[in-house]
Amino acid sequence: MMCEDCGIRPAKFHLMTIINGDRVERNLCPACMARHQKQLPGLDFSNLAGILNSILENKPGGQEQERRDAEYDDLICEQCGMTYGEFQKCGMLGCAACYQAFKTPMTALLQRVHGNTQHAGRVPGGVHSGTSIRMNIDRLKQKLQKAIADEEYEQAAKLRDTIRALNAQLERREQDIKVRPPERLEGEGEEGSEDDV
Amino acid sequence: MYEYVLAPDQDVVISSRVRLSRNYEDLPFSPKLTPEYAEEVIERTADAVFKTENGAAFTLLRMSELEEDARSRLVEHHLISYDLLKFVNRSAAMVSSAGTVSVMLNEEDHVRFQGLLPGLQLERSAEMALRLDEALEKSYPFAFDHQWGFLTACPANTGTGMRASVILHLPAIASGGQMGAVMQTIAKLGLTIRGLYGEGTEAQGNLYQLSNQATLGRSEEDVIRALSAATGQIVEHERNMRESAEKKDMLQLQDRLMRSWGELMYARLMSANEFMRRYSDIRYAASMGYLHAPLPGLDALMMDVQPGSLGVRAGKLISPRESEILRAKILREDLQELVAE
Repeated sequence: MMCEDCGIRPAKFHLMTIINGDRVERNLCPACMARHQKQLPGLDFSNLAGILNSILENKPGGQEQERRDAEYDDLICEQCGMTYGEFQKCGMLGCAACYQAFKTPMTALLQRVHGNTQHAGRVPGGVHSGTSIRMNIDRLKQKLQKAIADEEYEQAAKLRDTIRALNAQLERREQDIKVRPPERLEGEGEEGSEDDV
Repeated sequence: MYEYVLAPDQDVVISSRVRLSRNYEDLPFSPKLTPEYAEEVIERTADAVFKTENGAAFTLLRMSELEEDARSRLVEHHLISYDLLKFVNRSAAMVSSAGTVSVMLNEEDHVRFQGLLPGLQLERSAEMALRLDEALEKSYPFAFDHQWGFLTACPANTGTGMRASVILHLPAIASGGQMGAVMQTIAKLGLTIRGLYGEGTEAQGNLYQLSNQATLGRSEEDVIRALSAATGQIVEHERNMRESAEKKDMLQLQDRLMRSWGELMYARLMSANEFMRRYSDIRYAASMGYLHAPLPGLDALMMDVQPGSLGVRAGKLISPRESEILRAKILREDLQELVAE
């Protein structure tokens, strides 16, 4: 068999390329195979920060002051018996109930580590996190109403912008889902060849 | 005919992984986990995994029943973490036959599972992990809180419990002395980058792992999108650097890289350290078209000659010198097969 690219040398490689999820298959000679492996640069690295800052609006590293949580050392979780002091030594919690048992210092800790204390990802039972975006919007709308009632207009404006951004995100997701071809969990059968590489 | 798949951006991105950490809400976490509870975790999860659509493709491996080399081999192939081996007496892993999905049991969290694909395919890797998440939570509920998300043993993972990462090959950025600048930019974006083997800016084989840091406050999609965008930019930067190295003095670049090919083809003793250096050179050469060797083949070979995998291949405990001899021999034979010319 001859190379499908140059047509002059014998094909020695069967190359499959994945482009936007689609497979393109070709029989190639070594020289043409090597040319396909090489990809030319396009974009410029200098705009990295700009692009990403727009995606990651709130970065971790909150303002919460680092403080020694010694005053909480004696907090104890009724369910597993772990104390907050013990947790601080080993860095791991004893059970799910520890989170509530240590709520006050835990909130501060999560704020320090993640720069955030509200989950925004998928929730159990939800098919995709479109559900959790909606949940987030509902929660923010409640906050917005409270902010308006309390006449905290600066806060309300911020919330309104966040809700708009989330709605836009939801719309984008729904469009994505419409155009994306269906995918299977792993496709063990049809992707056996990937395993052999 | 050598068949292979070239994944997106594989000239720079070796693999993409998305890992989720979960705990059963009714069982104690790692520090309070008794052997009985650990066994319960294994039984529950194995049962649920086997029941999924692709359940038959999974094998359950108890760490206590594996030889040391077999355990190391799993770490070297990125199917389990090194940390899983801290709990050898109670830990286990489930690996799919294609190696694209694996589950760790009784590591720091009850269940940690991942989707792993070659090249830049974070979305698909995430999809694989999230599908498994949906399947598993139907059997037994995972610890979840509406404010704090999925509860993990270490609060650093709470929220989505998701760690997404890519392994990058950055020889041109590194030799251009720009790794420090890239690392600084990355840190500002809430992402972390570190040498895959070794610490700091000196990474063995010029391999780096880029991953998200925070898990609370951002959705899975946002994190994946941000990491994909950052990866895409680094990929472009690496390609630019490779191009300009070629423009500056192509012959010198070819000479430097292809000398490593010579060493690998004729050496009789090859240490793991030297191999990683040479591998980086020939991978770079292959991505520039100087060397007619398929990238996926080179990457698979790289994992196969790591210490644990070599031991498994030898089928017995081997001395450091024996492993240098065996590594050199495998490389001579397999590389010869990979290149057609």
